Amino acid sequence: MSVSLECKKVKRTGFLPAFLGGGILAAAVPVINMAVRSEMYLDLPGNSIQILLDANWQMMTMLNVLLVVAGACLLYHTEYADNAMQKMKSLPIRESSIFLGKAVLTICMSLFVLAIEAGAVAFCTYHWFEIGNGFFSELCKYFGFSFLLMLPCVILSLLISEACKNMWVSLGIGVVCVFTATMLPTTNFALSLFPFAMPFQVFASTDVTQSMHYIDSAIAELAVLCLAQLAFVKARRLLE
Amino acid sequence: MSFLSLVGVEFKKIKRSKILLILLVATVILWIPSILNVHMNFDMQAEGISPENNFFIQGFMGMSWFMFPASMVVGTVLLSQTERANKGILKMLSLPISTAKLCMAKFVVLLALAALQIGMAVGMYYVGAAIASSTQNYNFILQPLFVFKEAGLIFGAAIPMLAFFWLLSVCIQTPIFSIGIGLASIVPSVLMINTKAWFAYPMSYPFFVITAEYGKLATNLDTAQVELIPWIPVAIGITILALSISCLRFGQAERR
Repeated sequence: MSVSLECKKVKRTGFLPAFLGGGILAAAVPVINMAVRSEMYLDLPGNSIQILLDANWQMMTMLNVLLVVAGACLLYHTEYADNAMQKMKSLPIRESSIFLGKAVLTICMSLFVLAIEAGAVAFCTYHWFEIGNGFFSELCKYFGFSFLLMLPCVILSLLISEACKNMWVSLGIGVVCVFTATMLPTTNFALSLFPFAMPFQVFASTDVTQSMHYIDSAIAELAVLCLAQLAFVKARRLLE
Repeated sequence: MSFLSLVGVEFKKIKRSKILLILLVATVILWIPSILNVHMNFDMQAEGISPENNFFIQGFMGMSWFMFPASMVVGTVLLSQTERANKGILKMLSLPISTAKLCMAKFVVLLALAALQIGMAVGMYYVGAAIASSTQNYNFILQPLFVFKEAGLIFGAAIPMLAFFWLLSVCIQTPIFSIGIGLASIVPSVLMINTKAWFAYPMSYPFFVITAEYGKLATNLDTAQVELIPWIPVAIGITILALSISCLRFGQAERR
């Protein structure tokens, strides 16, 4: 019920076209890169998905994360801008279920964006490399991993937007977090667990245990962030 | 109402916006990795750059690549959204002031925010350099004249970019598009500075200028240098075009 309500709310805010546009932009990165300088990548060892993601994932994730941050700001901005949040609070629904509705919507949209990007990677492989046996199961593995690592970032940016009534504050914090994530060294395991830095990781088929560590920590972070959301809503109710 | 008092009014409006805090946090985070990894500056001798220059220029490159443009996008959101809440902008537009003047006053505030952030980065640089000097027993502090020259270069190069961001936030009413286009346009600037058409892309100017300075300081490293002839006219053209369109369009959506 609340998810469909959220869908109605974002109807005229440009949320859906923004994710569509952002997804297409990010998907264009590997295609353009291959079209301009394919000779740099064709002779590299390893499978084609690994090569393509190593070359382009940095920029694609940057776009994805910025899109998630901007989208999360917008979702709560529509509530806070004309005091709609007060009306929502007076309804017999829990505040957490509003959050849940927004989270489900953003997660669906990021899944959609990743699907467009996976399509672009499949196209590049088809055009410049060749699609071997088990290509699509590999592709699902890589993008499933990226999707899972994106979830903490989605939840945290929604939490920031919920906490700040003004759009520029939540956007500012989001931008600072993304900037911090780009400054952190990706090789350091503990530091790359920062929710905004996690999506920058690429699934390593050679080092499955490392990837499993990332999956475990993503799930742990999700649990912590959800608890933090519940606690935050309760605390704010008490203090207001 | 004189232009100066209009600018003063605009500053009053953003007094309690906490924007300075956000800008300050961003600059502090910028210098922390540099201070922690300060010993790596001694490994850069092969490029022919002295450790103190390297410390300074790497920090400023980090700033002009993503943090500074993205903070300015946040600044445009602040300037356009503070007044949309509770329809403040309608009251401003009903006053007998020319809308172009109002638009330019807001742009001056944006320029001031940019100058403030660069100033904070310079201040934090001196703090960072002092800490690094004491931990490494090596003088990392550079001449203020040189530091301010570089900071001024970044600021000057950023004006066309700021005009473009301002154009986005004035012309596009849907906030997610103006933010989205602004942020998304920053990401490819790394690619644009390596192409011949960099001067047509205002978002890459600050980063290009600072990379060119890096090439000057590092004797063994060749980076593309600024060619003033296509750049300055194009930059001025972009700035004037963006500002005049935003002055024309300012308040149009509200007056419909």
